Amino acid sequence: MKIKADYMLRSVAGQNVVVPIGSAALDFNGMINLNESGAFLWRAMAEDVTEQALVDALLAEYDVNPEVAKADVGAFIKKMREANLIQE
Amino acid sequence: MQKAESVLGISKGKYSIAGLNVGMILREGGIIEKQAKEYLCEFEGDPQLVVGLDDEYLTAKNKIAPNLSRLECEYMWTGEQFCTKLLAFDGFMLHASAVVYENKAYLFSAPSGTGKSTHTTLWRKVFGEDKTFILNDDKPVIRLEGEQIIVYGTPWSGKTDWNKNVGVPLQGICFLQRSKDNWIEPISAKDAAFGILNQTIRPQDSGSMSKLLELLDRLLQKATAYKMGCNMEDEAAITAYRGMNP
Repeated sequence: MKIKADYMLRSVAGQNVVVPIGSAALDFNGMINLNESGAFLWRAMAEDVTEQALVDALLAEYDVNPEVAKADVGAFIKKMREANLIQE
Repeated sequence: MQKAESVLGISKGKYSIAGLNVGMILREGGIIEKQAKEYLCEFEGDPQLVVGLDDEYLTAKNKIAPNLSRLECEYMWTGEQFCTKLLAFDGFMLHASAVVYENKAYLFSAPSGTGKSTHTTLWRKVFGEDKTFILNDDKPVIRLEGEQIIVYGTPWSGKTDWNKNVGVPLQGICFLQRSKDNWIEPISAKDAAFGILNQTIRPQDSGSMSKLLELLDRLLQKATAYKMGCNMEDEAAITAYRGMNP
């Protein structure tokens, strides 16, 4: 799975802001604010990855235990799926 | 109606808008051609920015917005075109009514119908018609010029045609909402960024969007934004002025 191409993540005023571009902007005119680990996962999902690869990436980057990393990744993916931002 | 408009002449003019040399190719007698007269200006050499829509493009836009006349479409989409091209010159348009007092620009932004113009008109009444003016009643331009943030009037000023062709330093941006009582408070840079993104024309291509976000990031390192609840009493203007001059 990966993030759909027509969204852009940028740092604005110290915040990680996601905005739609191109045709996605016609369906969704909002914005998403990501925390630091959310932005990290978002970037990791620019390429096609598995859920396990995301957990491994999070473990390599942050000092968290595997259970927490797995739960965080699961919650993040769930939210992204609900917002229809993921291409399976 | 459309037939009559399509035989209108085309006017090619040189303008100074937001401090830039602009070439505009417009339908003669159209809304934007009329509102832009104050911006006509001679300059040497090529324009820095060119605005103009061909018939095919207007027809396509008119299909999306059938409630608008062809000349209203020209007004709308030349504004969008100008706004998008302006990004290359470190500027963007904000949907706001901008009032100038003591050579500072105060921008009041809100969804249509909230009372932006009502509020800036109140400033004129309270602080004096001779000491204040409306820089632009609908779409002022904000440009980052070195260390300065300058607000410009543009010919795209909405229904009222209240605009002036000058640049004035920004004092603050305020997001308005109606309220029984008057109150104002500063908002975080994050809320300001979201507020601005909701009240500007969002470019669809990624290069322009990236540039807009970069501008917002730079703007919000220097500028302060506020949110305000206001009624239509004189006190509303005084509350806003005091709040934005802490």
